[in-house]
Amino acid sequence: MIEIKDLHKNFDDLEVLKGVDLTIRPAEVISILGGSGSGKSTMLRCINGLEEISSGSVVVDGLDVTKKDELKAVRKKCATVFQQFDLYPHLKVIENITLAPVQVLGVSKTDATNKARALLESVGLGDKADVYPAQLSGGQKQRVGICRALAVGPDYILLDEVTSSLDPEMTAEVLEILKNLANDGMTMISVTHEIEFAREISNRIVFLDQGKILCDLPTADFFSADGGMADPRIAKFLSKMGTGS
Amino acid sequence: MPDLSAMLEHLPAFWGGFLVTAEISVLSIIGSFIVGLIVALMRVSEAKAARLFALCYVDVFRNIPFLVLIFFAYYGLPEVGVYIDAFWTGCLALSIAVGAYVTETLRAGIVNIDKGIIEVAKSFGFGRIKLYTKIILPIAITSSIRPLGSVFINLILTTSILSAITLGELTSASKIIASTTFRPFEVYVFLVIFYGALTFALSALIATWHKHLNRYNEV
Repeated sequence: MIEIKDLHKNFDDLEVLKGVDLTIRPAEVISILGGSGSGKSTMLRCINGLEEISSGSVVVDGLDVTKKDELKAVRKKCATVFQQFDLYPHLKVIENITLAPVQVLGVSKTDATNKARALLESVGLGDKADVYPAQLSGGQKQRVGICRALAVGPDYILLDEVTSSLDPEMTAEVLEILKNLANDGMTMISVTHEIEFAREISNRIVFLDQGKILCDLPTADFFSADGGMADPRIAKFLSKMGTGS
Repeated sequence: MPDLSAMLEHLPAFWGGFLVTAEISVLSIIGSFIVGLIVALMRVSEAKAARLFALCYVDVFRNIPFLVLIFFAYYGLPEVGVYIDAFWTGCLALSIAVGAYVTETLRAGIVNIDKGIIEVAKSFGFGRIKLYTKIILPIAITSSIRPLGSVFINLILTTSILSAITLGELTSASKIIASTTFRPFEVYVFLVIFYGALTFALSALIATWHKHLNRYNEV
């Protein structure tokens, strides 16, 4: 379980998160929506300590991310998939996936390679194991990014606008994989602009506005006229995104 | 009239000097790379004292004429009881002086790495040592290999200054041949050819290595 309590985050004088409370239970799929600058990516980055929190607490399965030795364990539990893929350019696809399991978790190279090959097969990239990232399309890179996250056997997957750099066709291929993961019971926290995707895979939708949670509702309620849509800020956001009914 | 064939009988003397130059070049390239790597890591370290030391080192050694540095080491240090022979004085001085340029070249390679890649590694729980050995340095060295090549070619050319501290390297050997044959034109043509052979060999090596290391950028 991930428990975020009264989370504040400042960048110098700019307060980006102004007291966020959120609990994420195992097997939940949560989508975090909100406009640009609402603090949604920052919140996600606070979960695995990529941003140091200013005050409040983030606890993952009883481990406090503000404590250095506990943060290490948190990072083993939470794997992140990033917007810009950020694959290691000097390593082949298979090595991108096996590096963390072998170097951080101490898995044997053979086991890590076997698992990586199986993961690549599952996302339709079985024939790309031995090429370098520069030789892949954006959608393929992001699928490798997802395999790299899954290879460490995480309890939680953090998705930071994973389709924002992809064209619609590539977006569809990545979302399909994430949908399958959600169906398999993976706990996922997804910061996204893909409203339809959020609606399709999430149990809950959290809407952030100016560093605060404006609403935190089950998906069906969020999109209902007397639920999230009743809030003018959310209705306006969704209408601008071309969704909401 | 210049007569290059007059140099043929002096080839063994040229060759002797050439070997000393080649040996000191190889040792100093290795030495300066090690020094440069260590100081570059200090230069990007989180420890303020390490960063300050690295900055001072680079500034000091890039601002001392190399000739002054070797005079100080070879003629100055014995006065305080430190005696190092000409060969090792040359090796150490080149390693330390050129190390400053290697530091800056590697630092540029390190700071130019996409921050996202480093964040990914951190998010997977990579510690500092593995982050550097598995990700940062391989990428930084790959992107720095061409500029490093220029630094090392300059190092080879700088070895000629070591003739000033009596080291019997290529330039020194040539000066002796010139003074005994009174044929400076022919002698220095040969000298240019010998230096050219060394720097050309290094250039070819760097180009091959660059191609090998950058194989992942080929689409």
